[in-house]
Amino acid sequence: MTAWPLKLPAHEAVLAAILVLALALLAVLSDRFFTLDNLLNQGLLMTEVGLIAMPMTFVIITGGIDLSVGSALGMCAILLGYSWHNWGFPLPLAIGFALAAGAAGGFVNGWVITRLGVPPLIMTIATLALYRGLAEGISQAHSVRNYPPWFAALGQGTLFGVPAQLWVLVVAIVLFGVVLARTTFGRALRAIGHSETAARFSGLPVDRIKLAVYTASGFMAGLAAWIFVSRVGTTRSDMGMGVELDVIAAVVLGGTSIFGGTGTIVGTVLGLALIQLLKDGLSLTGVKGDATIVVIGTVLILSILVSNFAERRRESGRMPPAPAPRPTTEKGRNEP
Amino acid sequence: MNGAGRRPARARRFAISQEWLLALAIVALLVVVGLVNPRFVATRNLQTILLGNAYVAVAAIGMSMVIVSGNIDISVGSLIGVLATVSGTLAVAGWPVVLAWLVPVVLGAAVMAAQGALVAFLGIPSIVVTLGMLSILKGGLISATGGVWISNLPDGYHLAQWSLFGVVPVPVAVMVVLTAAAAWWMRNTGAGRSLYALGGNAEAARLCGIGRARTVMMVFAIHGTFAGLAAVLFATQLSVIQSTVPPNLELTVITAAVVGGVSILGGTGTVVGSTLAAVLIAAIGSSLIFISISPFWLRAVQGALILATVLADMWRRRRRGLIR
Amino acid sequence: MEADGAVAAPLLSLVGIGKSFPGVQALRAVSFDIRPGEVHALLGENGAGKSTLIKIISGVHAADAGSLLLDGHPIRLVGPQAARAAGIATIYQELLLFPELTVAENVFMGHAPRRRGRRLDWKAMRSATEALLESLDITDLDPSQVVGALSVGNRQRVEILRALSQDARLLIMDEPTAALTGHDVERLFAIVRRLRARGVAVVYISHRLEEVFALADRVTVLRDGQHVATRSVAETDRAGLIQMMVGRQIDSLFPKVTAPRGRPVLELSDLARPPATNGVSFAVHEGEIVGLAGLVGSGRSELAQAIFGITPATAGTMRVAGRAARVRSVADARRLGIAYVPEDRATQGLVRPMTVRENASLAVLGTLARLGFIDREAEAKLAADVVARFGVRTAGIEQIAGRLSGGNQQKIVLGKWLAAQPKVLILDEPTRGIDVGAKAEIHRLMSNLAGRGLAVLMISSELPEVLGMSDRVLVMRQGRIVGEFAGTAATQERVGAAMMGGG
Repeated sequence: MTAWPLKLPAHEAVLAAILVLALALLAVLSDRFFTLDNLLNQGLLMTEVGLIAMPMTFVIITGGIDLSVGSALGMCAILLGYSWHNWGFPLPLAIGFALAAGAAGGFVNGWVITRLGVPPLIMTIATLALYRGLAEGISQAHSVRNYPPWFAALGQGTLFGVPAQLWVLVVAIVLFGVVLARTTFGRALRAIGHSETAARFSGLPVDRIKLAVYTASGFMAGLAAWIFVSRVGTTRSDMGMGVELDVIAAVVLGGTSIFGGTGTIVGTVLGLALIQLLKDGLSLTGVKGDATIVVIGTVLILSILVSNFAERRRESGRMPPAPAPRPTTEKGRNEP
Repeated sequence: MNGAGRRPARARRFAISQEWLLALAIVALLVVVGLVNPRFVATRNLQTILLGNAYVAVAAIGMSMVIVSGNIDISVGSLIGVLATVSGTLAVAGWPVVLAWLVPVVLGAAVMAAQGALVAFLGIPSIVVTLGMLSILKGGLISATGGVWISNLPDGYHLAQWSLFGVVPVPVAVMVVLTAAAAWWMRNTGAGRSLYALGGNAEAARLCGIGRARTVMMVFAIHGTFAGLAAVLFATQLSVIQSTVPPNLELTVITAAVVGGVSILGGTGTVVGSTLAAVLIAAIGSSLIFISISPFWLRAVQGALILATVLADMWRRRRRGLIR
Repeated sequence: MEADGAVAAPLLSLVGIGKSFPGVQALRAVSFDIRPGEVHALLGENGAGKSTLIKIISGVHAADAGSLLLDGHPIRLVGPQAARAAGIATIYQELLLFPELTVAENVFMGHAPRRRGRRLDWKAMRSATEALLESLDITDLDPSQVVGALSVGNRQRVEILRALSQDARLLIMDEPTAALTGHDVERLFAIVRRLRARGVAVVYISHRLEEVFALADRVTVLRDGQHVATRSVAETDRAGLIQMMVGRQIDSLFPKVTAPRGRPVLELSDLARPPATNGVSFAVHEGEIVGLAGLVGSGRSELAQAIFGITPATAGTMRVAGRAARVRSVADARRLGIAYVPEDRATQGLVRPMTVRENASLAVLGTLARLGFIDREAEAKLAADVVARFGVRTAGIEQIAGRLSGGNQQKIVLGKWLAAQPKVLILDEPTRGIDVGAKAEIHRLMSNLAGRGLAVLMISSELPEVLGMSDRVLVMRQGRIVGEFAGTAATQERVGAAMMGGG
């Protein structure tokens, strides 16, 4: 009886249309583009960014941001390689260690943000430096190679003809998508992003939820590190440098409001795909790789501009202007 | 610096000011590391430290103003990379050296003013605008130049060849003069104070007739000017300019501003602090070598420094009941 | 109206001022004069239109109708700066200062003395601030102190200095004593009297009648957005003022039926969370509506939020349905069956950009979900029930909650908490800012709920509402319960007197 949004919300519909258009255009421009191999390869290339973009969508929906993900990826990659190569951890343990370190890194972010009230932007700039610094300091810029063959399975192998890590990404997309759309946790994220005070007054465990979200962000950076190392077969301390930019661009392009409250995983996936296609398509048509970063930056700013205008128009049609005389609140302010 | 950075409040009983703390830390570092390895405090090394990092301090001046006003800019590293390349290219192409110095400054102001306009008039958060600009500049630079090395710079291009009184290289003098001038401006002009007002309480600032949009535009344009000056200092100390973006430069600049006492929540901080912090960070980096610690730990030290400063700032605010 | 012979020409005249917001007529044809050198008290219940009126005088809002005359000449105030330039300064409850800057700089921000080359003259700023301090006889404030480190009373003085530094001729003070302690109140009075002696006109808004009698020369009463009267304070008394403020027939609005009083559901003993809550003990029983009266700042909302776990109590004990209970978070309170409908709907009660459905289920998501998955049908049904049961006027449950009128928003907040099937319902200003029709509906609802055995604790600043709806009235002052009145003992005079503290 209620119209649950089976249809895509407006922003996602527009993105999907652009995506189809881009696909068609690229297919016409290059006969190498619309092949299964190329498409799968593109999916493979967006896995690491995609994995991190999932929790980043959550973080931004709560009204926060996590700039430390690229550094966390680098730190986890180094810890994986270093603990195996130099500390003699068995490789499976080293993998577990790297994942745990990622989660711990995210937890530290979340703890300081929720307990000490440091703004997320500043906290994650600090750990952006700190985690990268740990990666560089621990590794002393030495790389680790010569992983056993089985380790390459995740990053280079295939399952049912599809790259293995793409399955991981698909699982993550479904998991995060379902959590956001269908569960109490997802609902709480949106409520917090729209109004943290109202969420608290409704009995939602705001701090615990935020802590979980930042921890997930760090954990997924660890998972991405594992896949990255497995894919390229080596560990370097500069891995994942600048990834935060790609991730945030994809999330914001996907329609998640930088002010918090709204956003979908479907949108993020579309954003990811669009950026990846742009990169690929441009390189196939002869544009140099670095120019694609320009495109990402431009797209990021433009998409915010557009959604900003859309938001304003909707707002002006929605709320009564100036919610009348604000009642003088008795306690003045609430200690959040 | 002749008291230019003197706080409006002399009655700060709470703690010694961040500026003095940093100065003390620099002295302590010099003494301790100097005892371990006297070559650290040799004039030549000190000159190297200051010379190699004057541009960071100059960029941190503009960054401090931006943060004081309650904004942030993470595109400054890329911008400096672009402007340094522009400067080097012009110099090699045979433009008068003065123009090779001047054009980047004007260009820097223009680019930052454009970003400021997006923040001021369209209400896009500065983090997003500058994040986007970061990639535009970075990708644009590499794809336009292919990362070529610019060499054969003309003789008169390098500022460091001149010294004041035989010991103070020009770039260091520039750093000191700019810091003093900026500190004086922030302290003694209505426009300078409006940055503190906007960052401290935007609503109250509005009632005092300080327009947000105008002030944000202004602070970004000034920041761009300093970024341009920093790019010139950066380019002119190199014999070969690589046309890429110096890795993580924006982070080093933000670190200097934050460690220098510019409050993360806006509304407080001075550029004397940020310059001292830039010097301190450079000195720490150099000292690692002299006490045989790998320089690869430098970034971790930076991160820990920011974190410590931020936490100290939160603690100070809480104690003084400034958390709003 | 005045009997005095030589009356000073008015400084500011309000002529037929009217202002409406979507759905609300906030002010209607308000006219009165403000004279130089007088303290003019502005009285009225919450929602009477005082805030709107001062916002019009201080240039924040533009009036829809009527005009302002300054020195007899019509003026248009576009924005707060125009008002400041015209010599009208306003000191809001929420002080607008720069916490990191010094007293002198706060005073002169935006109009600092300059030296040659437009540079700021710190010396002149300091000495001018000192002169201002001296003129008000303030000796314990130094121009170089950082404002963030000052007490509330001192911060307020900084705002007053700021107004004087701009040669304000009319100073509007919005409940300046709400956050002050006794000593600071005295000092504020001294300053206000000094200003009056200097010829400054002060518009003084307060809920405390004794302040009006102690300080004001004339008083204007507003009710429901209309001007009731402007009188010389000497010609009025407490009862008269209350009568003017309340004015309406009390019985007509409140359909409270007495329900049989059952066992105690919520029992507090010495519950405390300083500084706002200082040892509170009382009980609320099944089927009972207990009214909690008190002035603004008396600690009623803070008490409610301590019970509800937003700011958990630090001392004392609480029993719910006879069992000892510890509330450390809102989740604890909800589990115990405590519900709280907060006073500020827009920020505390509702997530305004979310839909009616999402808001209605927000407090009970856990019970609507299986393994964390929200049962959409159950949720839709819950929302539809809330809409039907409370007669929410909405286009449907997918309507954005923030678009509804105040009364309908309040019904959703109520519905959201009733869905949690509470034993205790705490209502904080349940009808503030709601039109009369919706008000009556909410009152009927409260009555029904109590009739079905719910224990209701109602906080209200509207005395008639408290008196009309409550079985018992508790009065709070300075974080303590200072009076209890049951049945016919609860009269306006007695409760009012207890609120004001003796007198």
